[in-house]
Amino acid sequence: MEKVCADWPAKAFDEQLVSGKYWDEFAENTKAAATELIHAGTWQEAEQLLQGLVQDMEAKEILAVGGEENPRLGMMYQHLQGDGRTVYTDKFEIAEHAPQADLGISTAEFGVGESGSVCVDTASYESRVTGMLPPTHIVFLQADHMVKNIDTAFRVIAKVYKKGYMGFITGPSRTADIERVLSLGVHGPGRFIVIAVDEPAQRRA
Amino acid sequence: MAVKEKRNIRKEIHNKLDDNVMQGALAKFTSEYPMARLKAYANVDSIDDLRDDLRTMKRWAVDHIDALADEFQHSVEERGGKVFRAATGDDVKKILLQICEENGVHRIVKSKSMATEEIKLNGALENAGLHVRETDLGEWMLSVAGQKPSHMVMPAIHLNKEQCAGFFEQELHEEVPSDISYMIHTARRVLREEFLHADLGITGANFGIAENGAIGLVTNEGNARLVTTTPKIHVVLIGYEKLIPKVKDAAKILRLLPRNGTCQRMTSYMTMVSGPTPIIYKKDGKWVEENRKQYVILLDNGRLAAAKDPKMKQVYQCVRCASCLNVCPIWRMVGGHVYGHIYSGGIGAILTGLLGNMEAFSKFSDLCIGCRQCTTICPGEIPIPDLIDELRARYVKKYGLSMPEKTAFQHILTHRKVFHSLLRIGSVAQKPVQSGKFIRHLPLFFSGMTDGRSLPAIAAKPLRDRTEELCRHNPKTPVMTAAFFSGCNMDFVFPDTGESVVKVLQDLNIAVTYPQEQTCCGKPVLGMGDRDTGKVIAKQNIEALEATGADVIISACPTCAETLERTYKELFKDDAEWKARAEAVAGKVREFTSFVAEQYKAQGRTLPQAERGSRITYHDSCHMRRGLGVWEQPRELIKMTGADFVEMKDSDRCCGMAGAFGVKYSEISKPILHDKLENIGNTKADTVAVACPACMMQIGGGLNQQNPGVRVKHVADILAECIAER
Repeated sequence: MEKVCADWPAKAFDEQLVSGKYWDEFAENTKAAATELIHAGTWQEAEQLLQGLVQDMEAKEILAVGGEENPRLGMMYQHLQGDGRTVYTDKFEIAEHAPQADLGISTAEFGVGESGSVCVDTASYESRVTGMLPPTHIVFLQADHMVKNIDTAFRVIAKVYKKGYMGFITGPSRTADIERVLSLGVHGPGRFIVIAVDEPAQRRA
Repeated sequence: MAVKEKRNIRKEIHNKLDDNVMQGALAKFTSEYPMARLKAYANVDSIDDLRDDLRTMKRWAVDHIDALADEFQHSVEERGGKVFRAATGDDVKKILLQICEENGVHRIVKSKSMATEEIKLNGALENAGLHVRETDLGEWMLSVAGQKPSHMVMPAIHLNKEQCAGFFEQELHEEVPSDISYMIHTARRVLREEFLHADLGITGANFGIAENGAIGLVTNEGNARLVTTTPKIHVVLIGYEKLIPKVKDAAKILRLLPRNGTCQRMTSYMTMVSGPTPIIYKKDGKWVEENRKQYVILLDNGRLAAAKDPKMKQVYQCVRCASCLNVCPIWRMVGGHVYGHIYSGGIGAILTGLLGNMEAFSKFSDLCIGCRQCTTICPGEIPIPDLIDELRARYVKKYGLSMPEKTAFQHILTHRKVFHSLLRIGSVAQKPVQSGKFIRHLPLFFSGMTDGRSLPAIAAKPLRDRTEELCRHNPKTPVMTAAFFSGCNMDFVFPDTGESVVKVLQDLNIAVTYPQEQTCCGKPVLGMGDRDTGKVIAKQNIEALEATGADVIISACPTCAETLERTYKELFKDDAEWKARAEAVAGKVREFTSFVAEQYKAQGRTLPQAERGSRITYHDSCHMRRGLGVWEQPRELIKMTGADFVEMKDSDRCCGMAGAFGVKYSEISKPILHDKLENIGNTKADTVAVACPACMMQIGGGLNQQNPGVRVKHVADILAECIAER
């Protein structure tokens, strides 16, 4: 999958800037932004949580990206398949089924304590439609990939951002254009769920 | 290009004041905004440090704008995008139509862009037969309604859900209940089709990074993400003022813009696009992946000239958060539409003037009352009222004042004796309508007042006729000498307060002189933009004050103090001799309450507890609080008198007088005063203290009619009463 940076931890993170100690502020700010934050100790636990979510929302067509880079995630996507569900992981299939899909699953590079944002590398078309077109978007994040604030976030980004499409997601799509009443899901997902996993992901080089 | 519009601003203002839907929405929003904003900032160490950083970065950008634009263009082109430079809105339209023609474009989706509103792009595209849709919900509803945004961030804040449902029905030809959730889902369904079938997407940009050619887009709805994802072509319209040097500089904008704009620590989506990015689509029945085309149009339309203007270049510090509107007492009353152009409020007046429509600017520039609320929160620290003043002065220099103002200012105010004898005649002429201390109508420049507020009478004996007697009580061996600059209000309307000032100073063992040659400080003319007349008046006052040889110059009117201390030296910045003289005078000017508080402290003074048992609240004058930065001292002085001091809500919000504004726009001034009176009433205070004679006139007049149980007193009067007890 095309990315702004193929390996953020190796190329962009440094220990001064990225640390799990910003977790509490991150968690507090995700809540304020109406993000559903779920904490999992292991990938196995994360998989169970994902299965539960998918069953509850009765998702039939699922778009899923990031499985090639993270084999454990790729396995989870395979396990979701069946039981009346179709999981699309091929970019052309994703493009074709995106307008009707019930759920999109993707990954984030790091979280931002100050704002509860997650930084998403969405250089590829398939990652963008996965995150924007379905009514629900689930993002996997490694729990200790956290920066303190927006300033440090951009110091990290500046190391690798030469070209492409990326940014922050901070909660579901929202509007307050009618009587300043907060309403979710106007264009993008009405539900935004972050599953943060403690166990380090094994990356495929 | 300047467009001549025939407008009746008075009528528009009346319509807006009568628009109950808008009035309700703005009242609610503006009362909630300040706290919500602060809550968003609760987890940063210093808001002002962030503001300083942003300003410094943007200043650097504007000082290097040509190099920055070249670098940005190079970065975009190096990545495969194409850059155009457009001098005017017409150029943009030509470029866009060409792009559409070359690429066989029929359908266009747009995400919010003030720049496209500025140049009225949509109409031009539609006239060329293109199908154009706004996708921001508010903008989409307004485009259906044929209305303009009334706020840069909340374009449809003036509408209620019933009105919105009407626009939905009008566009979709189906029944739409006024249920917000229903409308949101309807918009999703309808606009989703637009995204999926669009050939081209147009966005603006919140910033453009020279280093890597990325543009940044900040939205909550996510429409900008879709506009930059589904269509095969992406066109960016970006003003030069949005360019920043480095990737990391974006953080300086992003820590402030969402917090000030929407009271969020970050918006739902912050998207950056650098160069053409991949798109997957069905071509001849087969799915293919290729890079989308990206065109970036850099818009000048007056921006580059502003960048070279030493004063006006400060508009580059604007990040379009629109928070200057959210705290503006006038916008709260009239909404955004009466500002006429696209950009509303204080910053809107400036942008309108700079981006080619000085005529429109001149029509509503006096809707800024110079209260400086906006300067306390502007992320880029733009001195908005000063820039409006500057533009107004340039306009007057070029086109002159209108006739009645010319007569009043150029022919009367510059001749002290004529002016003062007219005021004396006024004091006689008003006699028949005077009742008690207040009258309903004053002759001369105070005409046009209506119900809800009495205006004080012109005193039978002005201060200037009392000072000879007063100064006989000067101390024999004074510690210093003070020249008293009273200002017109204290001279002719509140001479008793003027006496109080003299007594408090004499009590401090200071000898007071009152230069008879002093005249109006000139603020009314300077406020109208007539600097030439202002200079004539300033020279008279400088000469009069110099002649006293006093150690300090005391003013108990913050507007006069600010004018003497700050404005005169700027007025003469190109005249070395007068600049030096203005600076010498400015160096001696002291505002009354801060001076007295300082002297009391130095001398270890206490006051008789004459106010024990009374409950006093304090109203901050705009010029005092934000012009001179004085707010603690008057409170300290009041507390010294033994009074039960109580703060009112929004003590530093304008009372609505604002010099000539309160008279010219009395229909706006009165509801502002009403809020002030309500806040005063809620404190259950028996006295409201002020340190400004103009506020004293406005609040006193309101209390006289609406809450006669509460008195208004200048701090000088309170202190003088205490001293008399001794």
